[in-house]
Amino acid sequence: MKPPPFDYQRADSVEMAVAALARAGSDAKIIAGGQSLVPMLNFRLLRPSLLIDINRIAGLSFIEDDGDGLRIGALARHRHLEVSPLIARFFPGVAEAMSHVAHLAIRNRGTIGGSLSHADPAAELPMLAMLLDAELVIASPRGRRTAQAGTFFLGALTTDLAEDELLTEVRLPKLPAGSGWGFAEVARRHGDFALAAVAATLSCDGDGAVATARIAMTGVGDTPLRAREAEALLLGRAVGPSGLAAVAEAVRTAAAPATDLHASADYRRHLVSVLAQRAVAAAWQRAQEASP
Amino acid sequence: MSLARPVKITVNGTLYERVVEPRLLLVDFLRHTLGLTGTHVGCEHGVCGACTVIVDSDSMRACLLFAVQLDGCHVETVEGLGSLKVLSALQEAFHEHHALQCGFCTPGMLMTTVDLLRKRPLASDAEIRDGLSGNLCRCTGYQHIVDAVRAVVAKQRETDA
Amino acid sequence: MTDASQLHPKLVGQPIKRREDPRLLTGRGTFVDDRPVAHALHVAFRRSDHAHARITAIDTTQARTMPGVVAVLTAKDLAEHYQPLKATSRMANYHATPLTPLARDTVRYVGEPVVGVVAESRYLAEDAVETIAIDFEPLPVETDPEAAAEPNAPRLHEDAESNVIVAREFKRGDVDAALADAYVTVKGRFRVHRKTAVAIEPRACLAEHDAGHEALTLHSATQIPGILRDAFAQALDLPGTRLRIVAPDVGGGFGGKASLYAEEFFVCVAARLLERPVKWTSDRMEDLIATSQAFDEIIEAELGVDRAGCVQALAAEALGDIGAYSIYPWTAALEPVQVVSFLPGPYRLATYRGRTRGVATPKAPTGPYRGVGRPISTFVMERLMDMAARKLGLDPREIRERNLVNAEEFPYKVASGLVWDKSGFRECLDRACQAIGYDALRARQAALRAKGGWFGIGIASYAELTGIGSRISVAPGMPLNTGTETANIRIDSTGAVTASFGIAAHGQGLETTLAQIVADHLGAQIGDIRIVHGDSAAVASGSGSYASRSLVLAGGAAIRAAEAVREKVLAVASHLLEAEAADLVAAGGKVSVAGTDRSVTFREIARAVYLEMGRVPPQAREELAAVKSYDPVFGTTTSATHIAAVEIDPHTYEVRIDRYVVAEDCGRVVNPKIVDGQVHGGVAQGIGAALYEEVRYDAEGQIQTASLVDYLVPAASEIPPMDVQHLDSQSPSLGGYRGMGEGGTIGAPAAIANALADALAPLGIEINELPATPERLFRLIEQAKARSET
Repeated sequence: MKPPPFDYQRADSVEMAVAALARAGSDAKIIAGGQSLVPMLNFRLLRPSLLIDINRIAGLSFIEDDGDGLRIGALARHRHLEVSPLIARFFPGVAEAMSHVAHLAIRNRGTIGGSLSHADPAAELPMLAMLLDAELVIASPRGRRTAQAGTFFLGALTTDLAEDELLTEVRLPKLPAGSGWGFAEVARRHGDFALAAVAATLSCDGDGAVATARIAMTGVGDTPLRAREAEALLLGRAVGPSGLAAVAEAVRTAAAPATDLHASADYRRHLVSVLAQRAVAAAWQRAQEASP
Repeated sequence: MSLARPVKITVNGTLYERVVEPRLLLVDFLRHTLGLTGTHVGCEHGVCGACTVIVDSDSMRACLLFAVQLDGCHVETVEGLGSLKVLSALQEAFHEHHALQCGFCTPGMLMTTVDLLRKRPLASDAEIRDGLSGNLCRCTGYQHIVDAVRAVVAKQRETDA
Repeated sequence: MTDASQLHPKLVGQPIKRREDPRLLTGRGTFVDDRPVAHALHVAFRRSDHAHARITAIDTTQARTMPGVVAVLTAKDLAEHYQPLKATSRMANYHATPLTPLARDTVRYVGEPVVGVVAESRYLAEDAVETIAIDFEPLPVETDPEAAAEPNAPRLHEDAESNVIVAREFKRGDVDAALADAYVTVKGRFRVHRKTAVAIEPRACLAEHDAGHEALTLHSATQIPGILRDAFAQALDLPGTRLRIVAPDVGGGFGGKASLYAEEFFVCVAARLLERPVKWTSDRMEDLIATSQAFDEIIEAELGVDRAGCVQALAAEALGDIGAYSIYPWTAALEPVQVVSFLPGPYRLATYRGRTRGVATPKAPTGPYRGVGRPISTFVMERLMDMAARKLGLDPREIRERNLVNAEEFPYKVASGLVWDKSGFRECLDRACQAIGYDALRARQAALRAKGGWFGIGIASYAELTGIGSRISVAPGMPLNTGTETANIRIDSTGAVTASFGIAAHGQGLETTLAQIVADHLGAQIGDIRIVHGDSAAVASGSGSYASRSLVLAGGAAIRAAEAVREKVLAVASHLLEAEAADLVAAGGKVSVAGTDRSVTFREIARAVYLEMGRVPPQAREELAAVKSYDPVFGTTTSATHIAAVEIDPHTYEVRIDRYVVAEDCGRVVNPKIVDGQVHGGVAQGIGAALYEEVRYDAEGQIQTASLVDYLVPAASEIPPMDVQHLDSQSPSLGGYRGMGEGGTIGAPAAIANALADALAPLGIEINELPATPERLFRLIEQAKARSET
């Protein structure tokens, strides 16, 4: 399986990259980590006439604290997120989730920008972007715009990005202090795409009731999903068995899984409701441990 | 028509200057342009790990990189680990523990392990298995590979202590 | 008096490090694709995308003009340059199908090669393949094996009467009466789904034609160079002196490289036609689509036992989905017949009927895969034993204790006609139970169950024939000799020893183990011995490595030849040392007069014979060489018991293997590390078969598992540590060896299935379909819950 012929251009800057995209139209593809793109090229599922390589663009792989959130450059490798002290401190659930993403060799190269732009419906990073209401900075020849994760993922492998647009930065607004996190995934083998996965964060008020709740899931729809009804059910009270059961039911209803070679829609629906309970229970446990 | 590009890539400490077609995969560049056939092709979609090499200190799949992308980069392959007469400590451990049978997955397994040893404590067998789970082996059932890596980790700890 | 041989401990039995390793560890192995050949051309195939169709037109006009393309070849272009091959057999009820380099007028599976593009690079060849247009006239497709076996099903081969191209029955006694009389019967419909070998090195072959000598050399990643040589000699009309098949370093085989393939046929024909070396390296997609597949079997079986749990009767009907063609050379009968010939297992069973059929469907042909029919037969029989035990309230250990053939009953004639010569069936069961701490494990199970856990223990006992000789066919009625192996040993003028064999190792360490045997029996230093294998020119006749034969047969031949050469060495030494041969000891590369320090090295002996004229008078001269064969005639019984403990997550249904123990009797162990490695690898593949691996085709015959993302091979996190115990019940084979390469795969699916069924027994769930994926477990559990609610 050798790739079809293509021309190659190295972009030294974002401006150069988007200008090249605009010139080539739908015929060009950005190559960042390439961990999703190159298999498709090798299988000849894609035939771009031009690959625009952005790996050498300086200043695109940072992870910074801007006070209210973390700003992450689109070229930050999965491995950087996995070991970043800032991620560990402010989004420990993300660090945990990253250890489920494929394997070290893939994480050394794959990027957050690539993963979000590729939008695989069973991938962890798009789910985490939805969970945390990530803000996405997108560049084009027309300048920059900011998109919200909640409206960025349109369908399987489909995002809001226009042909001449490039994701340059992801901003994760910080969670309330004392937030607990939970992450639960089932995959066929370690590192495989999720059959279903759920990520959750919770924070409590002074009386031990849930003040904020976020639940996101992947593998159970064309895009990652926020389980907003389930989140609402948790607010204003402690998390107990009936709360978890209600979450399970709400998540089961919200999920829109498909059947494929590895699992049926029924099984995925069953899984996501189990995983939601586990993720929320873990987030609750951690939130309590964080509170005095 | 694709225009061939000049690249300068250092492999195991030697600088190579070649002209390559953009679509030439790194693994094919290593094997056929440079004649370094130690890195193997197992799947061409990044799953089996047989093609794993180290690029600028990070393990990567050579089947998912194009040579043209690596101008100015430093690549380490299995040929750089040790020699027939003097195996590296890791290779010696594989030899001691019978951690290879047909040998086809072995170069990738070794290069992944080199990177793991630099990046992870590998304090338990479970961690070793986790770290190696991106390299498929059909022959060994993994047990002797885990034994070899555990021995290397223990020896490293002794030397560090 | 010190025996010199005591100063040189035997190498057989030692875990010495492998001689193959240095080159493999340093990236200096020479696999087929590594071979640097000047002016080689590369092949890409245009393969069928129809499961069953007539080819009405092929347009290669554009392909022929693409950059770097040297030739675009169809069946028509090749027709005059070969004779088709057919896997023939004397078996009744068998229909042979032809094998050609490219499909002629009909394609019968998605992936069948139709056009071969030969170009300066694989990249360019693939570019050209995309421009080829083929007009297909679709023919009816039936992919379901049971539907395809019906008499009115659309026929895949017009010249056959139906799609059932092989049928066989084994029986002894009146099984229907015995089942009717049984105290208790258990039965089931057992389904094992399709597998493929996935050696990490995909197939590869390179044909080089020497025009001056009119000779052809084929380097191929094959397990059967001797078989290929004999077949291609016929197909290409070449004598053995001008046709050589070499298997260099081969990256795993497991049976997937043990058949003759169209692509190998193609490169041979193309190389002669084009007068340039022609190479084809399979990519992984081609491997998953077109390499032989296996294990696709449906078995309806019923077991009758008496009040004490003793087996009385066993009846089985098996249907094997053998794919589109009868594979060369083993035939489509290979796996379906083994399923029923081995079904009675290591048990005392008087009355049996096993009927089997092989049905052709539009899928890649079925071929040998580690264990062949035995993993399936073991799965069925061991499930039935556990089901019977449960019905009678017996522990699964106990029912096996009551039924395993005991030492005093050997040789034991199995109801299917096979003979267990001798093996430690009961001893393996006892040792496995001891090693896993069976009673304590049952107690742990009870404790976990009390807390709502799903924990199961599964036992699998099996027996197989290995190292089989001329009296037993690997597959019935084939015209090839799998029962003999030859060793050709000679000492050259430098004192170095070359030992050549017809086997073709592909990971099992035979360069080391055979050297250990030769060193011990010849008395040479192991460092002076070179093992030559994987080369059809190295021996007059050979076949290869498959069916767990190599160590037994080649080892036996090595013993004979080495001892013959040793006799000659001692004769020369006796002249040189002026001592009686009876007083001489050969060990560690020299010959010594026992009890003295007088000795002469092998090198000195070689120089005396070959180089120093007059040193050894003509009448005392010996040729320091011997060619000897070994035929075990029947083969020997290898057996094992596997015990698995599994835990199932009661909510997600994920399976975790908690413990895994193997107690196996493989006779005398030449190299314990290598034997352990074979067991580990075999069990890992068995776990793959039990939990992960499945080739899937849709109803139109389109393959759905064409990448490693969809065909799931277990990695290190999916395989547990294993405790392997060895027993040796002293095989009667020469050397005392038994074959053992396939055993791990034979026992593991059954052990895992039984453990899962044990874990789910409180829900009344049987595990009769493999792989037991989380999806299948989900369905079974949902059905069980629905049942308990009604």
